[in-house]
Amino acid sequence: MNISASGTGPDAAALSADGLSVRFGSKTALSEVSLSIPRGRVVSIIGPSGCGKTTLLRCFNRMNELIPGAVTTGTVCFNGVDLHGEGVDPVEVRRRIGMVFQQATLFPKSVFDNVAFGPRASGYTGDLHVLAEDVLTAAGLWSEVAEDLDAPAMELSAGQRQRLCIARTLALKPDILLMDEPTSALDPTATARIEATIHALKSDHTIVIATHKRRQAARLSDLTAYLDQGELLEYGPTETLFTNPRRRRTEYYLTGRIS
Amino acid sequence: MGTLRRHGPIGAVCGLAAAAVLAAFLLLIAILLAEAWPVLDPGFLVDAPSRFADRAGVGPALAGTLWISFLTAAIAFPTGLGTAVYLEEYAPRTRMTGAIESTIANLAGVPAVVYGVVGLALFARGLGLGASILAGGCTLAALALPTVIVASRSAIRAVPKGLRIAAYGLGATRWQVIRHQILPAAAPGVLTGCCLALTRAMGEAAPLLVIGAAAFITFAPGAPGDPLTSLPTQVFAWTARSQEDFAALAAGACVALLLVLLAINLVALAVRHRLRGVKR
Repeated sequence: MNISASGTGPDAAALSADGLSVRFGSKTALSEVSLSIPRGRVVSIIGPSGCGKTTLLRCFNRMNELIPGAVTTGTVCFNGVDLHGEGVDPVEVRRRIGMVFQQATLFPKSVFDNVAFGPRASGYTGDLHVLAEDVLTAAGLWSEVAEDLDAPAMELSAGQRQRLCIARTLALKPDILLMDEPTSALDPTATARIEATIHALKSDHTIVIATHKRRQAARLSDLTAYLDQGELLEYGPTETLFTNPRRRRTEYYLTGRIS
Repeated sequence: MGTLRRHGPIGAVCGLAAAAVLAAFLLLIAILLAEAWPVLDPGFLVDAPSRFADRAGVGPALAGTLWISFLTAAIAFPTGLGTAVYLEEYAPRTRMTGAIESTIANLAGVPAVVYGVVGLALFARGLGLGASILAGGCTLAALALPTVIVASRSAIRAVPKGLRIAAYGLGATRWQVIRHQILPAAAPGVLTGCCLALTRAMGEAAPLLVIGAAAFITFAPGAPGDPLTSLPTQVFAWTARSQEDFAALAAGACVALLLVLLAINLVALAVRHRLRGVKR
């Protein structure tokens, strides 16, 4: 089934989940989550650790099914197609909806080969060097690696690694960018650089970012969703949610009474 | 004394153990070389066995061992690696795959002579290969297979999970993940396991004797269908004889076997070195 057909306006939903539940064996990780992510916006998913942020994010590009025992019910619609529907190829989904993981795991190859992995896998026919320069610039890494693209990627610093991971994902030219705690392992300076990168990407990407840093969500996102024990307790404009939360649990979380 | 002062009592005991191993190894080599000295000349490696000890050589046995090793590697490595990849990356975790896994682990511990009996029934008689090089290669491949599988599986399992996730996350198909990430990362471990399995298999005499290895072959085998002979079975045949001269021949054949093992290990070392270079 073709998932690339797209004729939607700027404010339409890029992704929408309906009654989304995930179980790992007998443990429920996500229950009945419904939310819609508007095109061209940055959406944060916040909540205490273990609340299901990562699981929700991984539903959006079918990464959960790589975990044995994971059962997903409900629907995730992308361009009007249910991503979990019959005939949808998860490989195609992951090429359209890219993801940056919490751990910046690079391939033990050169910087260039890391960027080129995704395009090569999908049979990209354009000039890989042009693409690499584009995405490394977008990820704010070009000036630091331009000298030697054949250098081993493993020699980069932690912050550079994460930006390379972002570049690597951008090289897929995804419609949506999912980011799972992209700064959790970084120091404040590196974090600031990643956040600047995300800011720069905002203009032409739909971004969903899971984070446990409340202030990061406030700084970066247009909309914020608060997840608690697998349930979506609150979802709305970031400013409203932060200044005037409707639910007591949200307020407790935002004021640091639960973490 | 210096060791005791620098590393403490535990370190000294461990160092003593290491020294004992080294001494035992050197002693083994020394005894072998001393025993084999009278027969070691260039002709020894190519001459055929003979009733007369001073004219005998290991030519056919050496050629047989090289043939058998080649066949063993050609059969056991692809089959074993394929099985390992299937079990780790494709097979669903069911009771069936669990049963296959424990069977393979148990097979790795089955004595070599048992493989000989199976080889006799299956390859030599069942498939009508007789006491040939090919029957020997198939039997030793069966012997090496469980070790190759077990070693390859643990090498594949040791590939960092993040590498898999990252590759899948970038829209790679399962085969692309295996081909471009998992196999290169697992290659050094797989190679070590294959090398271990092969060198163990080629040192076996018992299974080949059961199939019917000949101890007196005057021409070097040139094709898989030729009569079965190998260095270990030659050693066995010569040690069974009472004349003292043949003891020297047996030691000489052992030296030849060790040379082959050394060569295989050097090749593996070079390949591993190259793999590491490519990874950078």
